[in-house]
Amino acid sequence: MKLKPVRALMAAAILLTGTSAADAHIVAARLGDFYMGASHPLTDLQDVVLWIATGMLAGTLGASKGRWLIPVFPIGLLVGLSLAPVFATVSTQLADATMMLAIGMLLAAAAQVPTLVLCAIAFAVAVIRGAANGAELGPETDRLLFAAGLACVGYGAITLTMALTVLFKRNADSVTSWRAIAVRALGGWIAAIGLMMASLVLAS
Amino acid sequence: MSAIRYLRLALLGLTLALTALLRPSALSAHEAAMGVLEFREVRPGAFVGRWSIEPSIGASRVDLRMPSHCFLRLPEMNCGEKGLVGPITISNLGSNMSVVLIKVIPIEGEPRSYTISTANPVVTVLGTDAPTLEAWVELAKTYANYGIDHILLGADHLLFVLGLIWIVGGGWRLVKTITAFTIGHSASLAAAAFGLIGVPERPLNACIALSIAFVGVEIVKQQRGETGLTARYPWIVAFTFGLVHGIGFAGALAGLGLERRLLPAALLFFNIGVEIGQLAFVLLVLALIWAHRRLDAVVPRWGEAVPAYLIGSVSMFWFFGRLARVFVAI
Repeated sequence: MKLKPVRALMAAAILLTGTSAADAHIVAARLGDFYMGASHPLTDLQDVVLWIATGMLAGTLGASKGRWLIPVFPIGLLVGLSLAPVFATVSTQLADATMMLAIGMLLAAAAQVPTLVLCAIAFAVAVIRGAANGAELGPETDRLLFAAGLACVGYGAITLTMALTVLFKRNADSVTSWRAIAVRALGGWIAAIGLMMASLVLAS
Repeated sequence: MSAIRYLRLALLGLTLALTALLRPSALSAHEAAMGVLEFREVRPGAFVGRWSIEPSIGASRVDLRMPSHCFLRLPEMNCGEKGLVGPITISNLGSNMSVVLIKVIPIEGEPRSYTISTANPVVTVLGTDAPTLEAWVELAKTYANYGIDHILLGADHLLFVLGLIWIVGGGWRLVKTITAFTIGHSASLAAAAFGLIGVPERPLNACIALSIAFVGVEIVKQQRGETGLTARYPWIVAFTFGLVHGIGFAGALAGLGLERRLLPAALLFFNIGVEIGQLAFVLLVLALIWAHRRLDAVVPRWGEAVPAYLIGSVSMFWFFGRLARVFVAI
């Protein structure tokens, strides 16, 4: 029975190292490249986990720090997307795993991160994931529309995640409140997934 | 911080996103990238096919796959004794060709139409009998999806709704306004689809662009502290322009050559699809406004007027582009 959480984490790590965003291409055929850009990250677990983790970290630090990510995160995605052709052959999996581990540990430790460091972390995540999303684009894709869709979903996802985290942590100033503990526990899980993912990438 | 400033920051992001759709191709957003292929039965099981509306990618590039027992080499198609029964699909549908209507004109019985779209790439021909439950389900799926696609790809409709939310804010006033817009476009969509009213598509699209410019002007008025018509009577403005946008929605159904007996159901499901897409958009905007309020993230004072002018500029770009298309065949 004790092994169950470990198995779940292993399964999550394996899923994260082996996911692809092929489903988004079906969306492109149906609704065009703007919606492909908007749906592409949502079909990739690495994006989903990292974006939620970043939004949660910002949310736990409070609205005054977190709100800076509203412009920083989409801009980072656009920068990453523009760098995608340069890093087309480089896998971002190790960088993803490292960021997951780092953010997870910060969440688990309930660390008080300065605004500048928070923005730097979010920008790094966004650049890495922007590049990863851009790496799979074919020549037939309208990159401007794709970029607009990606920036939009980045803005929406990070803003909503931060707001929901702020709402969840309201009146939870004490470190012993169940809400604060729940966020820290989730941070621990994210760190563990990042660690396992890094191990899998390095072992392969 | 006033609530309206949270609203403006959330809407600024969405306006910028919709502005990304500001491309020459967006001028013809409601002239569907579609084709119409007619099959006329000349003897039992043997058909002659021709494109009555050729898709923009060219007829030769359409990867049409008929039921496996049918031998197709246009203009001829032979389905033998079994007749034209079974699945029809097109494998290369995309933004350049999103809808193809297949019309089948049998020797006996009524002509039938089947719509293959990116949302529903396979249709099943069921023969000449009365529509079965399966046929109704397929019709519902096809047209509800088509309605969702139409509203999600219609940046002009979404920009108009965004403008209304901007002026009205939230609460019951917004519910009433969006309801009035829905009633307006549903009524004119039905009237246009049944042929009770008819407006040429190109001038109509120019009018739709003007309706967005009107909302842009109303936002500027509101920012200057004046009470505009939309702020005073939002539901009347929403209903009136809803009538115009509804005729635009009907343009998406026009030319599909639907059988008369299927038209009411197709119209209903198409409208349901449009409402689903519109509701999803409104809820997303409201969620973002809530999130901005929660994060106390407001637009800087210097940027307050930017979204209104963006809406105005985009709509006037569309207006002049569409007006040019009224006089010049582009």
